[in-house]
Amino acid sequence: MNFKKEYDVIVIGAGPSGVKSALTCSKKGLKVLIIDSNGNSGGQIYRAPPKSYIKKSEKTLEENLIQLKFSENLKKNNIDTAYNHTVWQVSPGFKIDAFNENGTIQWNTKNLIVATGTYEKIIPFDGWTTPGVIGLAACTILLKAHQTIPGNKIVLAGNGPLLISVAYYILKFGGKVDAIVDTSSKFEWIKSMISLIFNPKNFIQGISWILKIILSRVPIYSNSLINKVSKKENGISIEIQNIKNKQIKKLTTEVLAVGHGLTPSTDISRLLKINHSYDDLKGGWIPKLDQYFRSSMKGLYIVGDGAGISGAIPAEDKGELAAYALLKDQNIINEKEFTNKTSRIIKRLNRYEIFAKGIAKLNFTPKDLINNISENTILCRCEDITKRDIINAVNNGAKNLNQIKSWTRFGMGPCQGRTCQYSVAKVASEELKCNVKDLGYLTGRTPLRPFPLDKAIGDFEYDEITKVEAAPL
Amino acid sequence: MNNIDIAVIGGGINGSSTALHLAKSGLKVCVIDKDSICRGASGVNAGTLTMHMTRAKLIPFAKKGWELWMNTEKWLSNNIDVKKKNGLCLAFTEEEEKLLNERSQIRKEYGADINIISKTEALKIDPNINNKIKCAAFCEMDGYVSANQTGDAYTKALKENNVEIVENFEVSKINNSNNNYEIIDVHGKKINANKIVLAAGVYLEKILKLVDINIKIKCFPQQLIVTERMPELLRTVITVAHGKLSLKQFENGTVLIGGGWPGKGNIENGYNETIPENLIGNMRLACHAIPNLKNSRVSRVWLGLEAETDDAMPIIGELPNLKNAFIIGSIHSGYTSGPYMGKLLSEKILGNDVDLSLFDIKRLMN
Repeated sequence: MNFKKEYDVIVIGAGPSGVKSALTCSKKGLKVLIIDSNGNSGGQIYRAPPKSYIKKSEKTLEENLIQLKFSENLKKNNIDTAYNHTVWQVSPGFKIDAFNENGTIQWNTKNLIVATGTYEKIIPFDGWTTPGVIGLAACTILLKAHQTIPGNKIVLAGNGPLLISVAYYILKFGGKVDAIVDTSSKFEWIKSMISLIFNPKNFIQGISWILKIILSRVPIYSNSLINKVSKKENGISIEIQNIKNKQIKKLTTEVLAVGHGLTPSTDISRLLKINHSYDDLKGGWIPKLDQYFRSSMKGLYIVGDGAGISGAIPAEDKGELAAYALLKDQNIINEKEFTNKTSRIIKRLNRYEIFAKGIAKLNFTPKDLINNISENTILCRCEDITKRDIINAVNNGAKNLNQIKSWTRFGMGPCQGRTCQYSVAKVASEELKCNVKDLGYLTGRTPLRPFPLDKAIGDFEYDEITKVEAAPL
Repeated sequence: MNNIDIAVIGGGINGSSTALHLAKSGLKVCVIDKDSICRGASGVNAGTLTMHMTRAKLIPFAKKGWELWMNTEKWLSNNIDVKKKNGLCLAFTEEEEKLLNERSQIRKEYGADINIISKTEALKIDPNINNKIKCAAFCEMDGYVSANQTGDAYTKALKENNVEIVENFEVSKINNSNNNYEIIDVHGKKINANKIVLAAGVYLEKILKLVDINIKIKCFPQQLIVTERMPELLRTVITVAHGKLSLKQFENGTVLIGGGWPGKGNIENGYNETIPENLIGNMRLACHAIPNLKNSRVSRVWLGLEAETDDAMPIIGELPNLKNAFIIGSIHSGYTSGPYMGKLLSEKILGNDVDLSLFDIKRLMN
């Protein structure tokens, strides 16, 4: 694709929210670029199959059909798409730096819509880095985009709706679920289901998933957590512990998929030094935004689950609201049109929020999960930092996450704390007897994703290196 | 807080070292910081302990600092990683070869044991370097510290020596009367002390204004780049003739690329951002020095603020027209020399005969 150097609007993230905002802006005549590190639009929820899978099988999922619709609409509206491009830096103004397999590229825009979604929280346990242990979200990618089950025998563990949806898809594709290990109680599920009536589509879907699981006679361990995993020949051995009565059950399986809910991806807003607030019901730290998803920085809008978790359908609404706010801020639509277009969406979004908050309660991390981590367990797997290292730093006087990072090196590796920030914060807050929010959040840093040096430097001659003044002698 | 003999304003490496040495002499000391101990440049710099980048006149001090770093268990604490390494300073062109010869000769005259070696000799010491070099300067006195651990190490040592640590205390006023200093923060909290030491790094200009001294302290935002953990990519600390690269591989496998390539940033609102062109320039220079480095990935980039006076020389000693007030800062290659400079200032404060005339602040005041 021949890209322009400058766009009216750049959208980072081609999930439902990003696509909706791009389409809304484009329909009013703005020149839009949408960037995604994946090979196509759809985000994680409607993740497209790899190019070689393009031939439709009988098992084409509804998700895949939605994705095809996204692609079609983006094309029809002449929106430039930069797939397989990883954004590594965003600077105010805005400059967007990205790389792909050919090298680096920079785009400029006055209006930036960030729609970078979420990532999964995994609370560590003894043996969580054993091969054969994967994330529930990773499992979703395998199932939805690749129609592949991660193993013949699978145990699912953690909490939240992903547990049920992954179980459903594994059964649908002919896999065997050995057990579901859920930290929530059945009562907590029933309470959450009540909020589902605010979202009838998801309610029916949820019920049908649960029915399939029950009919398949999958053993469900409620109020339970994974105590320990160890490598066995031809698989892994798992210890399941009941939180209430401490009883232990042992199982042998091939794969353990575990996840403890999602958290908004705030990499870009933290890098741009936007203020954030902490809200457990929205998944953790979220950027401060107005009701049209404007940030405090002129021209910066943050949408989708990255603005607070509420799911794919409300994500589209958020994208659309931000797009109308942008169009009004740019004087492309007037006050009247703005109110007309947005009031209906806001009402619907508020209804969805009630549903989202109900579901969010299923994602709360029980204290037992944190207290159950042994001191030798690695929390930060990029730098091999254990729970003991974190406790030592806190006992030596480290008082916030950035200080703990500096003293221990947690969060300094390729994942930049995406995997461990939450569990480290939980461990430290237990030790300091404070709230997670009192510990602050990690300062945003570039590169937003690990940046291959050969791509960064390209081909060059020695005398082409930018000249800098020699240091004083 | 009362009965404080000396309040040190600024808990970076200069202030903390001064405080530590003073406390060891039995004085009641407190360290005040607007954030926390060594959270500024002292905790985020490249941690290079090299003579190849040290200003010639400061070589004698850097050597003493280097010795202190190599023996941290004796005076600081044992929870900071320090490694002695050979240092190689590379020249890639004839022009750089000439520059390297000149600069190394002058540094040698000031006491650095630096020798020019051939390409073959350099490649024997570190086979990972680019074989297109013309020659190299070699110095055994080199190495590095894991600078991120500085805050942890100093906090521990200060506490063990009964230094009061006052963090999140942003000084906005200093009153001086009856041989007593009253230090007030932005929220109105007060600390009284008989003597003060100003050690506020890039914020020195601002703090000096509170005692009616006006000098310029430049603030250089410098970019640092670190890779993910890699197998052996280099064995030495690498620098280049014109001084704009420092390169080392830590024990955990990460490679740190520094050299003082500027980013954007200021002390007013604390906002900083990288300049992509300068990151790429710095990375190109690093990959030119160690060609195999290009197979790794950058995992993090950050900035630190370096302070510099108009003549790029330190200010250490008594403040003029004030009683019992001292200053330490703007030490070029300050991380290497900081512990020793702090020791020197503490001796001066204790009334010992120390020659600090080279660093007298009066040279910068009109």
